[in-house]
Amino acid sequence: MKNHKVRLGALALAAIMAITAGSAISPAQAKGKKLTIGFVVHVVGNPFIQQIIDAAKMAAKDLDVNIKVTGPAGAEGDAQLTAAQNLAASGVDGIATSVPSASMVNGLNAIIKSGIPVVQFNGLGVGVNAPYVGEKSTQSGRILGKMVLDKIGGTSAEGSVIVGNCYPGFPVLENRQKGVLESLKKASGVTIVGPSDVKVDAAANFAAWQGLLAANPDALAMVGLCAPDVESIGKVNKAADNTTTIGAGYDLTTGNLEALANGSAHISLGQTPFIQGYLPVYILVDSIRKGIKINKPGFIDAGTEVVTATSVTEPFKLPALTFAKLQAMAKSQAKTRAYYEPVVKGYIKNWQKNLKPIAQESA
Amino acid sequence: MIATPFGAKGRTRFKLPEETSVLIALIVLIGIVGALRPTFLKPVNLLNLAASYSIAALIAGCIVFLLSMGEIDLSFGWILNLSAVLAGLSMIAGIPVWISIVIGIAAGALMGALNGVLTVFMRLPLIIVTLGTASVFQGISLISNKSGSVVPTDPKITQHIFFRALGGVIDTPVPIILIFVLLAFVVLHLTLHKTRFGYRILAIGSNPEAARLAGIPTKKIKIQVCALMGAVSGVGGVLFLGFRGAVDPSTGGQLLLPVVAAAIIGGTPLSGGAGTIWGSLIGAMIVGVIGVGVVFIGIDAVWGTLVTGLVILFAIGVDQIVRVRKKRGS
Repeated sequence: MKNHKVRLGALALAAIMAITAGSAISPAQAKGKKLTIGFVVHVVGNPFIQQIIDAAKMAAKDLDVNIKVTGPAGAEGDAQLTAAQNLAASGVDGIATSVPSASMVNGLNAIIKSGIPVVQFNGLGVGVNAPYVGEKSTQSGRILGKMVLDKIGGTSAEGSVIVGNCYPGFPVLENRQKGVLESLKKASGVTIVGPSDVKVDAAANFAAWQGLLAANPDALAMVGLCAPDVESIGKVNKAADNTTTIGAGYDLTTGNLEALANGSAHISLGQTPFIQGYLPVYILVDSIRKGIKINKPGFIDAGTEVVTATSVTEPFKLPALTFAKLQAMAKSQAKTRAYYEPVVKGYIKNWQKNLKPIAQESA
Repeated sequence: MIATPFGAKGRTRFKLPEETSVLIALIVLIGIVGALRPTFLKPVNLLNLAASYSIAALIAGCIVFLLSMGEIDLSFGWILNLSAVLAGLSMIAGIPVWISIVIGIAAGALMGALNGVLTVFMRLPLIIVTLGTASVFQGISLISNKSGSVVPTDPKITQHIFFRALGGVIDTPVPIILIFVLLAFVVLHLTLHKTRFGYRILAIGSNPEAARLAGIPTKKIKIQVCALMGAVSGVGGVLFLGFRGAVDPSTGGQLLLPVVAAAIIGGTPLSGGAGTIWGSLIGAMIVGVIGVGVVFIGIDAVWGTLVTGLVILFAIGVDQIVRVRKKRGS
């Protein structure tokens, strides 16, 4: 009898579903509505990615649109593509997504073909018919490699340099790696150790760098390519009471800046998470509102920030920053938004002028 | 899901299939998401979303064989990856597409068989062996693909019927991948529940010592089941290659949790001796609906993981309540 009731309940529920399905109206079909932008990141719970998300939300607030943020807990292209497809099916008006995997390309092009505009950020999918906002990845690697080389004695340096890649195969990281190695090879006496897989997870990342330094105690430098590296390298240097090995890497998270401040790490390149989060949302909203088609590849440089404990170099002629101000900005969304106001009013507003051929990304 | 007759006080009653409870949990979840976001219930959406989760579902269907035997494999995601990489590289090297597909699946079967042989001869649980082989397969994949994506771009390959059919270029009312996976589920169900091989698996899972004393070649069956798991993961790999048109170094790495969760939510116990193939399909759909629902309802990414966990607990709870009621009722 109870089973019978359960079956009846299930049938009733199915009937309700069928009725509601019939009355379904896609949000995109409703005129004069508030736009909804889907924002897909390749990993949730990463401090650098969170800075991008925060900027995307600031853009949504400024532009008076809704934003739905999603992404897998662990970086995996198929799960991310599924999230983007789910957003498209839910009726969002545009999608901004990082593209860490080639297997996402066909799926994203299918979304674009269905009429939903897409903008890529942070990770570029070659072949996706959409503009890309990000750093010049190979060039930023060259800059980092050159700065490390300068610190260890220039082209006459002799010794080993450890290189770690937290995600082998991730195209942007492979490009950075290429740039770093290109610069370091200018010193014939430098031996490269690695590139080793130093993992994304903060604890595993620390353990990997600790092991690498233990195996190469005389290393001249440790160079990471991902957000957790500078903080980990700093902690490893501190724990080993090592003041001679140069620590270098990417991103301006609170932990990385702290490592630069206390002298346990030395160089970190930022890739303007504010622009990488804000600009894709701006492009989508602006293009939808003005009816501009963005269904072809293109590149908008998000710029590179070069930071040491004594100097901060920002792109786009932004006002000069002290290290202390940069640290304060990393902890405050309001201060970040205020600092980037000239970029929002200029570089971001004029995004169409700044859209370059995609080949410039890896130049 | 075949209704089984049984006698009670001289009256023929029909016992609902054991998957009923988890099916109700699925319907409730779909109902909730559909009520909140009616667009979700559009048939085209449901079919496309089902297609997206179909490869994970296929592997969940096969892991039921291992769970029924009281074993668990941690390496299938990397078997899928390496099989797809080998198939893709074979295609790029000029080997005909169908032969490359066979190479990928055969490589998967070999990797699975290796897991089985190591388990039997080292007398270790499969979970421990596959802790090691997972890294071995991932490592070989990274060496093979030079830590980059494998993307067949030659039109001779991309215009092949395999890619056109799976990639959605050929328009069909139901995605081809979904039809294939449903047929595979029928085969898996019949294999586990209607063949001597299947009965032996369940007997080993129920009591390995008794199975051995009864003359069941337990070692051989273990190796065969591991090879089957590898072959199905290989099938998953080549399906992925056809469906997405590329395979990445990370492909398959995150499959472990959703696949095992699908089988367990579906009603297959970790203790062995029992298993439901259809339950795993429904379990995979529950995992899929949760993933889709979180996006449709617009739950922020930061909250998404918590909500996913809570909804899985809810689904298991509904399943358990209905099971207990059914037990009392019978």
